[in-house]
Amino acid sequence: MSLQGYTDRRVLLVLQDGRAIVGVLVGFDQKSNIVLSDCKERVYSADEGVEEIPLGLYLVKGEMVCLIGEIDEAIDSSADLSTIRAEPIPPIRYG
Amino acid sequence: MLIFSVFKTLTDQTVTVELKNDLSITGVLKSVDQFLNIRLDNIKVADEGRHPHMMAVKNCFIRGSVVRYVQLPAEHVDTQLLEDATRRDAMNQVKR
Amino acid sequence: MDVSGTGIQEPFDLIRLSLSERVFVKLRGDRELSGILHAYDGHMNLIMSDVEETIMIVDTESAMAGQGVVNVAKRKMEMLFVRGDSVILVSPPSRT
Repeated sequence: MSLQGYTDRRVLLVLQDGRAIVGVLVGFDQKSNIVLSDCKERVYSADEGVEEIPLGLYLVKGEMVCLIGEIDEAIDSSADLSTIRAEPIPPIRYG
Repeated sequence: MLIFSVFKTLTDQTVTVELKNDLSITGVLKSVDQFLNIRLDNIKVADEGRHPHMMAVKNCFIRGSVVRYVQLPAEHVDTQLLEDATRRDAMNQVKR
Repeated sequence: MDVSGTGIQEPFDLIRLSLSERVFVKLRGDRELSGILHAYDGHMNLIMSDVEETIMIVDTESAMAGQGVVNVAKRKMEMLFVRGDSVILVSPPSRT
């Protein structure tokens, strides 16, 4: 499946409710169920910098997955999260 | 399987995927699967200023169910072939 | 339109007649499309060309004042895949 190249890499998981989670992709299956280790939620706000909340080892149900992006470590480490101001990603709407 | 086949012929083309959360991502179509999950390389998010969330992401996997549209390169789509394949597909559906 | 002699037995047969013709598509989220239909499948996934999308935006201010003005945003796309789970209806263009 298309997620094969991402195992053991740090990824950004965007959930259907708009949450952004960063972690290492441990595993996945055909339904897009995902296991992420050492993951952190990145909370974005228009008024304050990005807040990172440690979560640990997570199993995310495939139905909740919106998008998984491979993180370029060089770019990510050079970003200063405290200076980023942005609205949270909008949730997926089916109707 | 028809739409899946169409996407397979479009690998390595640049497409724009619009998601149901209104996010638009342009990138090179690297792969697609039976659920129409999409892998894109070299992505560029529309309106980057509003979406710095994906700044460090160069390629991604998009779950098929969250896609609203995929804008395709017209020059690489054979509409006549598509229509013939669709008619054949529809015929086969009825026979079953 | 008297369909009894045309061999149309089920809804997808009707859509098949519209292949290579301009169709009107109503989508969830107050969106409408007009475009030429080239392909569809059992999920109502569509591939269309020469598409104009119209999004209805309700102007909440005038709506609250009792006037209910609807603004529209239009956009053109040359070749478009539309995921079937957004599709409400597909029809020949309305005759004016």
